[in-house]
Amino acid sequence: MAIQELELKPAVPASPLSGFWNVFRKNRLAIAGLGMLVVIVVAAVFADFIAPYDPRSYAGIGAGDIYQPPSAQHWFGTDDAGKDVFSGFIYGARNSLIVGFFAAFISIFIGGTFGIVAGFYGGRIENFLMRFTDTMLVIPDLPLIVIFVALTEPSLWNIILVIGLLGWTTTARVVRSQTLAVKSRKFVLRARAIGAGNWHIIVHHVLPLVMPILVVNAILVISLAILSESTLAFLGLSDPLAISWGQMLNFAFGRGAMSVGAWWALVAPGFGIVWVVLALTLLGNGLEQVLNPRLEAHHLMPGQPTVQKEAGEVPSRSAFVKTPVVLEVQNLSVEYVNEGMPPARAVQNVSFQLHEGEMMGLVGESGCGKTTLIMALNRLLPSAGQIVGGKVLFNGVDMATASDEELADIRWSGISIIFQGAMNALNPVRTVGDQIAEAIRKHLPIESEAALEARVTELLELVGISAEHKDHYPHQYSGGMRQRAMIAMALSCSPQVVIADEPTTALDVMIQAQILELLDELRRRLGLAVIFVTHDLGVVAEMCDTVLVMYGGVTAEYADVDTIYNQPRHPYTQELLKAFPDLSNPEKRLSSIPGYPPKLDSLPPGCRFAPRCPLAFDRCKTELPRLHELGNGHVVSCHLVETSSA
Amino acid sequence: MNRYRYLLKKTGWALLTILFVLVLNFFLFRILPGDPARALTRDPRMKAEAREILRVRFGLDKPVINCFETLTPLKLGDCRVNPFETQFFIYIKNLLQGELGISYKTNRPVADILAERLWNTVLLIGAGQILSIVVGVAFGVFAAWKARTAIDYGALITGLVAWSLPTFWLGIILLFWGSTHGFPIGGKATPGSSTYPLLYQIGDVANHMILPTLTYIIVYMGEYMLVMRSSLLDVLAEDYILTAKAKGLSAFQILKDHAIKNAMLPIVTLIAINLGFTVAGAVQIEAVFSWPGLGGAIFEAVESRDYPLLQGTFLLIAVSVILANLIADLTYSYLDPRVQTE
Amino acid sequence: MPNDIILEIRSLKKYFAAGSRGWFSRRERFVHAVDGVDLQLRRGEVIALVGESGCGKSTLALTLMLLEEASEGSILFEGKDITRASPQERKALRQRIQMVFQDPYESLNPTQTIEEIVSEPLAVHGLTPNANERRERVIRALEDAGLKPAADYLYRYPHQLSGGQRQRVVIAGALVLEPHLLIADEPVSMLDVSIRAEIINLLADLRQTRGISVIFITHDLGTVGYFADRVAVMYLGRIVEIGTMREVLQDPKHPYTQALLSVIPVPNPRLRRKRIILQGETPNPIDLPGGCRFHPRCPLAIEACKHTDPSLIKISSSHQAACLLLQP
Repeated sequence: MAIQELELKPAVPASPLSGFWNVFRKNRLAIAGLGMLVVIVVAAVFADFIAPYDPRSYAGIGAGDIYQPPSAQHWFGTDDAGKDVFSGFIYGARNSLIVGFFAAFISIFIGGTFGIVAGFYGGRIENFLMRFTDTMLVIPDLPLIVIFVALTEPSLWNIILVIGLLGWTTTARVVRSQTLAVKSRKFVLRARAIGAGNWHIIVHHVLPLVMPILVVNAILVISLAILSESTLAFLGLSDPLAISWGQMLNFAFGRGAMSVGAWWALVAPGFGIVWVVLALTLLGNGLEQVLNPRLEAHHLMPGQPTVQKEAGEVPSRSAFVKTPVVLEVQNLSVEYVNEGMPPARAVQNVSFQLHEGEMMGLVGESGCGKTTLIMALNRLLPSAGQIVGGKVLFNGVDMATASDEELADIRWSGISIIFQGAMNALNPVRTVGDQIAEAIRKHLPIESEAALEARVTELLELVGISAEHKDHYPHQYSGGMRQRAMIAMALSCSPQVVIADEPTTALDVMIQAQILELLDELRRRLGLAVIFVTHDLGVVAEMCDTVLVMYGGVTAEYADVDTIYNQPRHPYTQELLKAFPDLSNPEKRLSSIPGYPPKLDSLPPGCRFAPRCPLAFDRCKTELPRLHELGNGHVVSCHLVETSSA
Repeated sequence: MNRYRYLLKKTGWALLTILFVLVLNFFLFRILPGDPARALTRDPRMKAEAREILRVRFGLDKPVINCFETLTPLKLGDCRVNPFETQFFIYIKNLLQGELGISYKTNRPVADILAERLWNTVLLIGAGQILSIVVGVAFGVFAAWKARTAIDYGALITGLVAWSLPTFWLGIILLFWGSTHGFPIGGKATPGSSTYPLLYQIGDVANHMILPTLTYIIVYMGEYMLVMRSSLLDVLAEDYILTAKAKGLSAFQILKDHAIKNAMLPIVTLIAINLGFTVAGAVQIEAVFSWPGLGGAIFEAVESRDYPLLQGTFLLIAVSVILANLIADLTYSYLDPRVQTE
Repeated sequence: MPNDIILEIRSLKKYFAAGSRGWFSRRERFVHAVDGVDLQLRRGEVIALVGESGCGKSTLALTLMLLEEASEGSILFEGKDITRASPQERKALRQRIQMVFQDPYESLNPTQTIEEIVSEPLAVHGLTPNANERRERVIRALEDAGLKPAADYLYRYPHQLSGGQRQRVVIAGALVLEPHLLIADEPVSMLDVSIRAEIINLLADLRQTRGISVIFITHDLGTVGYFADRVAVMYLGRIVEIGTMREVLQDPKHPYTQALLSVIPVPNPRLRRKRIILQGETPNPIDLPGGCRFHPRCPLAIEACKHTDPSLIKISSSHQAACLLLQP
């Protein structure tokens, strides 16, 4: 789960093409590759003007010219026949590129057609084409190319044809899987629904989305074709009339360059091959990164150290629950720092107290900072996330500044998380029982393997999964069972605080009800403090004791559940409730909140809700409201509260 | 689908592919202009009686297959001949008996030549493949772990450059360098060393293997490294890694228990797909270092237009690659539990 | 109006072959996705089709769109049997029956501009070859879908719009053909609660202004109340209860409907009620239970339910439910 991606959508380009160039030119490796390619293409095209000598002519060459080292007349020295290596080098580029481009064109055409036809039409056609492709892929192609060329005549066009006809397999596979992916997307179904035929869909919907991958693949195929050609030429299978780098190496290697120490005759042509192939590789690699961008950020990268650069407001104290406090969050602020971008203030000055046995609902639209908030509690923020102010106190330890050892201890045994089990939160290649046992092994003393097994079984039965499923893999579970297993795992080390991150999203209503009932029962039985993250106000009303409503990274309103639903003071809370369907009053027309939540890297100067607020006035647009305490722990950040109470 | 059916299906498919290769290998040599049957009758190196023996053994006076007398030039024939009296079935029958023909150049049975050379190639590819996987995967893991640092950037560029090197050229350069630094300049053993003690012989072969294996490692390591790096980067961004981190596991534990095995899956697929390409590498390396293996055999067979040797070598290489590919598929099914129940 | 039935479905069935027939097994297995559905839809009426995943509601929608071929039964659209329509007839029908899909992020091609997306149906059907006229129709459709001023959106790409705006583009793409029937498959389930209402209200307005009939498919009984004339509840390929919105929501007769209604959270902490939580999961539609297909999970099941498959029983002129307990 890339939290950052969820909450910080990157700035969008005006059109796919201009956006492409903007990203591409920032990729230094790709630009280098493009430059290298341009140089060699220019050399090949203008070979007649650049090369100082005609490599086909022996005019003016004497016996004394053989294997001469580099000099002013011969920059790269001379070869076994006394000819200028530099001129051969320039002309060799021409043939290498011709073979590369034409052979790749044949391969791409065949592979692309096979891939699209197989992926789009499916069924028997696909079966036949892909079986054929797999077979051709397994058969080693260099020996086959060698045989073809050896049995026919090694002319330039024969070589192009053979390399092209045997080099399409990877293209076919790549294009097929991309076509399958595109075909399964809903816009293809939509095109069918408007009456579009196959040809229209292939041309307007499949091709534009397959094309980028085809281009990247084409670059790879060109470089492979150039390598194949040079290998063939080195093995002596080349058009005797067409000078190529491989052929130059064949002559030099076979005619004593090594024994006379004529390194230049061996290095120069090879350098040409490396230059072209490296140029293509850098370009292809860069294009792939641009077309298929990854954050290249992962969960094991070191996080940002906590700093205290923000002054806090008055911490809020909830008085609505009477049990002892287990987790206290004071003025917590989190930012995402990305190079070249303004910091995104994902969470700002959020405070709350969580008591033993309390269930707190954390509510807000997507992109309001709730995921960042809960990940900050356990310091599980992505590497760009930084705590820039506040404290997270758990059992006297400030999680914001705790050492790695303290964190490792408190994670799971003190504060555990129920991730969305329907998603990818369980490792697909390890059994569910094994993954539960792992947590116990890490945090609790174990007497024996048998005791551990018994504990895992007990936990699974606690959440309603029978013991025989212990050794099954996650993919063998249904969505509801995965969520139950996730709960069992979260409870495995008897934590005091459990964070449930949208645990019922993407589940069917009845399964959702089952999971909620289970969670409610377990927290009562075990006295757990739970933070329940959701956007479903109905679930919060039914389950929670307290509610924290977040908007644009700040606390909008924080109170006990009855106050939130029956005396909400923040316009956002009020509007959210109006937008939520209520079956007890089905004839009412639903209202929606116009506009969209602010982006966290470009927040409005005043109140974050002001642009959408029906009650906003001038002050709201310039001044961020502070948190007002209305008694009994009810906290609201709205200027209206001040005016009405004053 | 259970594992047993998966295994059965994959094995069946490998057998079908081998059959395809047999057919291809037969017809290829009869369709293309350099038909060995005709070449045979014209080859001056062959004695008349030997030629007659071969003619009978390979049925060269019989039609190629039902309905076709010869393929180049295309000459239709009788369709009602006994199929077992055609060149194709005689070829299959000979193959089943391990009969691959006689090398033109050496007048020895091709099967004998290949038997000697197979193990040399297995030794070279085996050592090179294992080492390049180990080195590539190790560097890939390290680069992904240290993503977006100088180490990662350096590894990425090294990998891309290594990938771009033509195998034979790298071999030449290493050979050039090695020849001035006391490394043997080719072959598998020092001539005459077979009379020395076994330990000395092993050391001698190992010494001859250093440069070819190094070439192999450099060329193939790059790709394994790049794939491992990107595969591990994907895995480390997965939700279950966050789960593991939330459980309090250390970075090392997460890599060891959750990330590497999952990230290895694409590597296994790559190894399987790459087997066909590794042969290409072996051909080049063996040609440069005069290593007496199958790749070298192809090189020599092409040079001397020794068709039976070429045909036999291709068949053996293709069948080996198909079998190795089958093993990789089965390994994959063992590593990924999802395969068995799909 | 004498003929005000726009769509009539008669014992419609859609089966899919399940898994490959092994080499050694000759027994074919089927997924009974839609297993005998009868339904009539009046012109200008909105019917909500409610059920959990696997109940066959999406397959029913695709079958009605003729994107899947019915296995048995027939579909009559504007009085004409379209079940076995020829490809040309199908294409013509697509102008009159349109669909809105669940996921607005997935149902727009990221490489097309909004104008291309909305005008594509016109191009496919060869309507309005005049470029100006075509643009006018596109602008009208966009504004009808609530994207005003439409000129601001024509040259944008889907990724530059929010989820709600994208769903409006999808709706505009359906409206541009001026359909008589709109099938909306979970049009709001991927959207934030705060903007769901605007899409629901938009669909409700369209039916007022254009007289379009709507089949609204959803898993969420909570949102249908605001909008539907009638509600049909599906379970394992069948309609188990159908009636006016008020009848079904306020006086549900089938135990499944009762359970579904009881678990809808009410956003009022003072109204926490007893929920009827069904245990287990919906059985897979390959091996259907004998008798009433709901009996293994039914809290009220009696012995007879194991053997007798109930058909719809009339409760009022508009309300029917399939439960043995309702038999007189």
